[in-house]
Amino acid sequence: MRFRAEIRNIHTFTKFTSSLATLGHIAWLRLDSTDCRFTVIPERGTQVWSVLTPDTIFDSYTIQSAAPNNAINLEVPLQPLQRALRSAGGGVGASLRLTKKDGVPLLSLTITTTTIAASSSNPTNITEGSRDDFANGQGSAPATSSLREGSTDAGFFGGSRERETLVTQDIPIRVLAPASVEDLHEPRCREPDVHIVLPNLLQLKSISDRFTKLALTSGNRNTSGGGVGGRFGFQGGSSTAGPKLELSANMHGCLRLALETESMKISSLWTGLENPELDPEQVPEGEEGLANHPSTRMKALGDSTGQGEEGWATVRVEGRDWGRVLSVGRLGGRVIACFCQGHAVILYVFLSGEEGGGGESVLTYYISSYSA
Amino acid sequence: MSDATSLALKFSLSPEATGRLYDALLTITALNLSRTAYASFALDAKSFFLDYNLNASSTAKGGDRFTCQILNKALQSVFKGRTNDGRGREPAIERCDVIIQEQPDMTECRLIVKMICKHGMTKTYRLTYESVEVMHALFDHTSAPQGWRISSRVLREYIEFFGPKTEQLDLVAEDGKVIFTSFTEEMKNGKEVLKQPLETVITLHTEDFEDFHMQDQTHIVISVKDFRAIVTHAYTLGGLLTASFSRSSRPLQFSYQNYGIHCEFTLMTTGDLRGALSSQAPKFISTRGSSRQPSTLSQPPSRPSASEMPPPPPARMNFNKPLSSQSQRPSLRAQVHQPSFENSDPDPHSLFVPERNPWDPPNFDGNDEDEEMLGWDAANERANDFQPTFRDSGPTAPPSQQRQQEMQSSQASGLEPSQWLSQQRPLFD
Repeated sequence: MRFRAEIRNIHTFTKFTSSLATLGHIAWLRLDSTDCRFTVIPERGTQVWSVLTPDTIFDSYTIQSAAPNNAINLEVPLQPLQRALRSAGGGVGASLRLTKKDGVPLLSLTITTTTIAASSSNPTNITEGSRDDFANGQGSAPATSSLREGSTDAGFFGGSRERETLVTQDIPIRVLAPASVEDLHEPRCREPDVHIVLPNLLQLKSISDRFTKLALTSGNRNTSGGGVGGRFGFQGGSSTAGPKLELSANMHGCLRLALETESMKISSLWTGLENPELDPEQVPEGEEGLANHPSTRMKALGDSTGQGEEGWATVRVEGRDWGRVLSVGRLGGRVIACFCQGHAVILYVFLSGEEGGGGESVLTYYISSYSA
Repeated sequence: MSDATSLALKFSLSPEATGRLYDALLTITALNLSRTAYASFALDAKSFFLDYNLNASSTAKGGDRFTCQILNKALQSVFKGRTNDGRGREPAIERCDVIIQEQPDMTECRLIVKMICKHGMTKTYRLTYESVEVMHALFDHTSAPQGWRISSRVLREYIEFFGPKTEQLDLVAEDGKVIFTSFTEEMKNGKEVLKQPLETVITLHTEDFEDFHMQDQTHIVISVKDFRAIVTHAYTLGGLLTASFSRSSRPLQFSYQNYGIHCEFTLMTTGDLRGALSSQAPKFISTRGSSRQPSTLSQPPSRPSASEMPPPPPARMNFNKPLSSQSQRPSLRAQVHQPSFENSDPDPHSLFVPERNPWDPPNFDGNDEDEEMLGWDAANERANDFQPTFRDSGPTAPPSQQRQQEMQSSQASGLEPSQWLSQQRPLFD
């Protein structure tokens, strides 16, 4: 079992890992000849299944395994991976490989950095005088200042060379047997009612977070004089207990984010968004299937002003979990949301162009809807 | 003593020095979670202070020094936010005056800090202190011939790589490089293994060091937190950081100085002795010229091979007088190691120092684990010395063991190597 690759775009990889790390501590990483799949399945909250083509983040991608299609399945802790990648940001190069140390499997990230040797590397120039002089910063006695000049000259001519320093960050991992991941399948979902390109995620996130915060504070006020149960509900931090945001979209380019509590009802509306055309080849039963597709029927309802109550597909998401999902916005990809009325919303985040390294890489978020 | 109180000590600080004093206090806090570290910040009377006056005649015990113990937290809160960078909410200070009033008969022993601020405001803090004899850790430089010196800026860059949760730092020299590894000892099983912190390995070229001399494959292990705190503080002062050590289970010292602050940290090390115990001749990775080689190279029980002529000791070690100081302290533990594998008889006509003398007294303690205790110096006899707290701490031994002592624990003495044999002859001929 071998895996080794140069990291092509450390910043993309770091941002990608950071996004995953908001949802869970551990990722299932499946590497094979054609794909790098990162999957996070937290106990509750949103799942993310992502497929990256190796050249999105890697160069000189080498993989060898006894399993079919050279597959290697690993369990990777995301925080150490993220930390390791972040520390590689200042380096001139980095590579990742699967290795073992004292019987413990590791992903070893080797970072090449440069040290600029500011002073002389010639040991004969290091004298007691220059030692004190370095330490004092400013030599005052004439004797030491002449020594200092000597060593500065040496540094100018002989030093100031860049040298490569290797830093290795070892990330503990677990190697998974193919049998143990056999039963893991991507969630299946019926054909969506509405699909829409989301607006700028940074903007969507800041508004969503503000709504969540409002719900939390108004919730606390409500429960401050009330029962213990309510208070536990909000402070427990579990994703089922937090405030729910109502997210709706129609097939006329409208997206609505709403919050309703006992004391208030607020909503934000985006219009003029894109509803991408479905590719008949991707729809079951082709053209006929497209004609009967739920989204085709939804097109007949509602309008582009988003003022009516018709034609909306609505889901209820947990505010904090939704905020964590939206942190994927840092990757800057195009995001399509597929709404299944009252059931789930699926986010497809496409990494392409410069950030994606040319390949088709996609992160898929499965966000369940809560009942009202 | 005309006044009711006597001024034992009075000094004034510039705003910059006040900030640096605070940095030092903070560093003390960050250190020593494992309680195996000793830190000392010596402030130079001439260059650190605007004004410094120790009133020797009025100190309670007479004598030319004043020692006390004071809560670090209390001092920190006084000096907090006193840096003149304008960011703090506290008004910028112009000067800081500190007075120590000592009166043995009264409870009014006080350390008074006056912060003279801008706009004519003065803040006065009165702290109580405890008058105690301060214990100082002993670190014997002559028994720590290995070491390195590097720009604190370079190290500062690399400590960033160490994970926040790792506990230990292993230091080993290998193949022209020095390898710093941060790790956590506890090995977890199963799923828990994923909670193991990152292990970071940093490989630096010895050329990045101003000076480097370390035995090949010797592991020295200290606490990552201590190392990080020390490097961070060294960086605030700029300049070079020096490490001196011999091998694992013996103290290591970091030192650096600038702006009239002399900082010394003595840390106890752990680590495995695999490298040091190898029966081969120890190999050194060194940027030092041959003239800088210390006279004794390695630690027991491995010795330099007989064919290796020990070079003369470095000149800077000559001020030490291990022979005289060794007899000053009673032996804490006989540091005698009985070799089990060394059988060859040294050539009596050889000019070289023999590897191991078979007539050495046996180690009746039966304690092969040569872990050494850190010594303490309560007397602090050289109080007027530039660096008053450290004295030669050569492990003591009965006179008959002295020569062997020197060989075994790398007591790089001020003696020329030729004297070693002459010293040996009368003892064993």
